[in-house]
Parts: sequence; structure tokens; C-alpha cells
Amino acid sequence: MPKVSMPKVSVVDETVPAMTGRERVLAALGRLPVDRTPVCNPTSVATVELMDLVDAPFPAANRDPELMARLAATGYTELGFDTIMPVFSIIQESSALGCSIQWEQKDNWPTVRMNQPIWKTADDVHIPTDVLAHPDMRCVLDAIAILKREYGDEVAIVGKTMGPWSLGYHCFGVEPFLLMTLDDPDQTKAILDRLKKITIDFGVAQIEAGADALTLPDHATGDLVSGEYYERYLRDLHIEFAQAIPIPLILHICGRTVDRMEYIAQTGMAAFHYDSKNKPAESMEIIGDRISLVGNINNPETLFSKGPEVVREEVYGNLEAGVPLVGPECAIPLQTSIENLREIPLAVRDWHREKDQAQTEPAGSNEPSRPAN
Amino acid sequence: MAELTDIQNEDIRYEIEEYLERDEEIERNIELFARVSPGMQDLAAALIEGDNGAVDQMTRDALEKGIEATEIMDDGLIAGMGIVGIKFRENFIFVPEVLACARAMKAGMTHIEPILSASGVKPVGKVIMGTVKGDLHDIGKNLCAMMLRGSGFEVIDLGVDTSPDDFIDAVEEHGANLLGMSALLTTTMPNMAKTVEAFIDADLRDEVQIMVGGAPVTQEFADDMGADGYGKDALACVSLAKELIGAKA
Repeated sequence: MPKVSMPKVSVVDETVPAMTGRERVLAALGRLPVDRTPVCNPTSVATVELMDLVDAPFPAANRDPELMARLAATGYTELGFDTIMPVFSIIQESSALGCSIQWEQKDNWPTVRMNQPIWKTADDVHIPTDVLAHPDMRCVLDAIAILKREYGDEVAIVGKTMGPWSLGYHCFGVEPFLLMTLDDPDQTKAILDRLKKITIDFGVAQIEAGADALTLPDHATGDLVSGEYYERYLRDLHIEFAQAIPIPLILHICGRTVDRMEYIAQTGMAAFHYDSKNKPAESMEIIGDRISLVGNINNPETLFSKGPEVVREEVYGNLEAGVPLVGPECAIPLQTSIENLREIPLAVRDWHREKDQAQTEPAGSNEPSRPAN
Repeated sequence: MAELTDIQNEDIRYEIEEYLERDEEIERNIELFARVSPGMQDLAAALIEGDNGAVDQMTRDALEKGIEATEIMDDGLIAGMGIVGIKFRENFIFVPEVLACARAMKAGMTHIEPILSASGVKPVGKVIMGTVKGDLHDIGKNLCAMMLRGSGFEVIDLGVDTSPDDFIDAVEEHGANLLGMSALLTTTMPNMAKTVEAFIDADLRDEVQIMVGGAPVTQEFADDMGADGYGKDALACVSLAKELIGAKA
């Protein structure tokens, strides 16, 4: 892997006037100067505590746009993040395509019953013409419209449209789909090609509803497939998405991904949401200034299990490495404490203030160390 | 002491030379494959290639020639899966390739298992496996179950979305001394701890060794919940299961 010089991203510029969260996120996604590093969760910040706080519990908050918007807004109003992300799960499209969904209760995300696949071959792939009118798709679009109306000037509203690889798991079952990638690469490519329509159409619909940026999860994770698989099956499709969807896209892939970051950096996506299995510095070295990184505070060991001081250490680690947008590595565990999540924006502000003070003693930061609410 | 050149099958020699890096694993596999018959070397090579059709045919042919079912399983299928497990652990291959090898293993075991059952061969141990309550992901658990079966364990697979009560009922019903739990979601990881607590409440914790695994699970998390062991992957799961059985014996 060729080494690149340390990137020019994370261009925190003291001369940049104070920004709104929306301006800050969009600037960072565009690799433009920012007043401070934005705090962003491109997946989900929903927790049981937040559900109770605003009376918007799962599973209803995944299916009712008012509840979805109310719970999502807490990412800004209660936690002080610069983004609001209303799509807490990864099942809306699959539900609309006909997959059986286990909607679960307040303490768990809904999941596709992947042991009940709906398709077997590429010929089975059928995207209904009215798929955007499905209640689970409409819910997202209506929630985004609500959030845009109420918070659109303040924070970035981030939507989510699933990539075809993830939809392949849902619709064909994980094992059959992965075996097909070996047994019949042409059919696999045909499936991905047919599924891309729903990725683009849902993404564009969310833009029309008011989304400022979109997360595009496509779980070609290092826990399952190789970096070479990403290059073979997904890089060109992701280039196509970056060209077809006219707002910043944040690609999300869990797990160890350094072996595919070079390919990801070639896609033209605005950003890559990366996992804590990848070190910030090694990831920045590969990605360079070609796209932005978002992440990568560890979920199970840090946000879920540890206290604010460990959260702060990881935030500082990302900032020191020059990661342009800081946030949890993935959808946070639903039992994560609000205190730990609030620590992320607090730590970001403190880090910048310490840097400012170090450069211009005795001047201090203009921004107090507290959540945005 | 055997040499690599003592192994007749060229593909097996290549696998050992190209993919095995730990000295003890190189030595063990050279000893193993130098000892087994050329036919079993070919069977192992077909399994490593993930060629289920060839494994199916070669297993039937071997049985027809009068080769013992245990020899086919140990020297062909399990020996091949040993190399597959190492390649997976070292990231030379990934889940699709392992699934293909598992499919080949299953093609062979379909002919072997009825013979072993009829002959009354005792399993190494009995393991209850399941993905915890609220979690529908099973690929890692399935790979562990397959590797355990291939290593001589009897596996009772409870599938996905398994409640603590279901785990307890299965351990009691089957008299199992090992339990393996898997979780892929951070939301469902706490259900592992709840299951451990349920075994304590049922006064059965001392009767069963509990193993945990899954992408977000760590050794630290396993220790905190009071599990007896954590396996990073299917190969580690087998080693752990053998260790726990030994520890208990």
C-alpha cells in the first residue's frame, strides 16, 4: 500500500467564523475548513434512556414518523451532536421489498429474518414501482421532512439508504448470498445491479424530503469478505452511487476494513464511517485527503461498558490523528448511557480549546464546554 | 520425523508451504498428512478447495472400498478442515470460502454420520449451541457448530433467537456439559450475561461450561459476564471446547 503524506483534511481554521452544526458537517464532508471538528453519528444514536426521555420507544419509533423524528432529534437536543439521523435500523428497504421483519421491543433493534429469504436467483429480484410508498419507506421520508422543518437550519439531517450488498444478505440470506458470490459471480453482479435502483431511488427521495447527507451502509465487512471482494463487487457500484446521488454520501462498513480503504477512497463518496477495529492513524494514512473519515469511538467496550474518561481518550485519539468527523463507530448499543454520549462533543470542544490555548496563551475558547441544548 | 516431501498430494504440500506460518502447526500437519493415505490426502485437498461434488464422490468411493468411516472423517475431512481453519484465522480466506469448505465437509459427513451413529462411537463431548435472544444472525455460530462436529463433538444447535430458558432446557434435556452462545449485535450481547445468570438462578451453572463468541464480543466482555471462555473464531471455538472438556474431566 503506497504511503501518502498526512492529509490536509480536518482543516480546523481559527479564522473561520462560528458555524452551525449543519454548516460544520457539510464543510467537513466537503473537506473544507471548519471552526471545529463536527460530531457526527451516521448510523444511530437511539438509546433506551433517550426513548424514555421523549416517550418515543422502539419498535414504534421505527415505524411512526412523528416518534422517529422525536427520538432522532435527541441526538442534537440532548447529546449535542451536529447531526440528526432518524433511520435507526437497516431494515426499512428490506421490509418494503417483502422480507419478514422481527420488530422486537424497546431494548433491541428490529432485524430481518434472514433465515426466511425471499429470493433465490437474480430473476427473482423485483422492486415494486410503488416501493417508496411503502409505510416503512414513507416513515423515513416523513420523519426527515419533520426534522428538516424543525432543525434544518441548525444541524445536518442525515438520511440512510442501504447498499445492494446488505440488501443481498437480507433478501437472499447471508449464507446463500455469500456462497453465490463464489459459485456464480455473474449472477451476484446481476443481483447487485438490479438492487441498486432502490438504493438510488430511496436516496433521492430522502434528498427531496430534506436530507443534507446520506449514510450508505453496505456491509462488505472484513469479518465476512476480503478487500479484494470489495474491489471486485462493490467499488464501481459505489462510484456509481456517488455520481447518481447529488449530496454527500457516507459509506458505512463495519469491522476491519483497512484492506479495502484504498478502494473506498477511490469511490468519490464524501466520507467513510469506520470501525474501531481500524486505528485512526493507520486509516488516515491510507485514506489521505481523498475522502473524509467519520468515527470511530468503540461501542461495546467503550461507550457501552466504560466511563466518560475512556470515551474522551478515544475522541482525543481521533482528533490527534486528524479524523475530520468524530462519533461512534456504528449504531450505538441501546443501553449506552447518555453521559457517555454527551462526553463526545464535550471532549471535542475541550480538545480544540486546549489546542487553541496552547497556540495563543492566555486566550481561551469562545465556546463553552457543554451540549448544544 | 516426516518431511514435506513425504506428502504425496501436491496441493496439500502447497497449502502447508504457502499458508501455514506457525512452526508447531507446520510440523503437526506434515506429520499428519505424511501418515495418511494418498486417497485421504486427495479428499482433504478437495475439501480445502471447497469442491463439494468431489468430496461427496470421494467419500462414497472410499466407503465402497472398505475404508473405515472414522479414517475418512479424521484423515480426510477433519484434517482438511484443520487447514481451512488456519487459513481463515490468518485472513488468507474469508467466510464465503469457509462456507464452501463447510458445504464440502457436509457432503462427506452425510455419508459418514449414519455409519458412526450405528457403530456407537462416542462423541468427544456434547455441546448446546445457539444465538442469543433477540439476535437472528447465525453464520458464525453455524461455522462453530460445523467445526465442532468435524472435531468429534455432538452438537445440538438451537438456532437463533434463543432464550435463556431454551438454553437451560436443552442442557438439561441432553445432559450437555458445554454451551456455546453467539451474538452479533451490541444490543443482544447483554443477553449472554442474562443467560449465564439464568443458569446460576437455576442452580445449573456448575454443570455446564459456557463459551461465548461473536463479532462484537471480546475476552474482556466474556470475563465480565462470567463465561468460561471466549473464542475469536471457529477454530478458537474448537480449541476452547477441547480445553474446557479437558479442564472439566
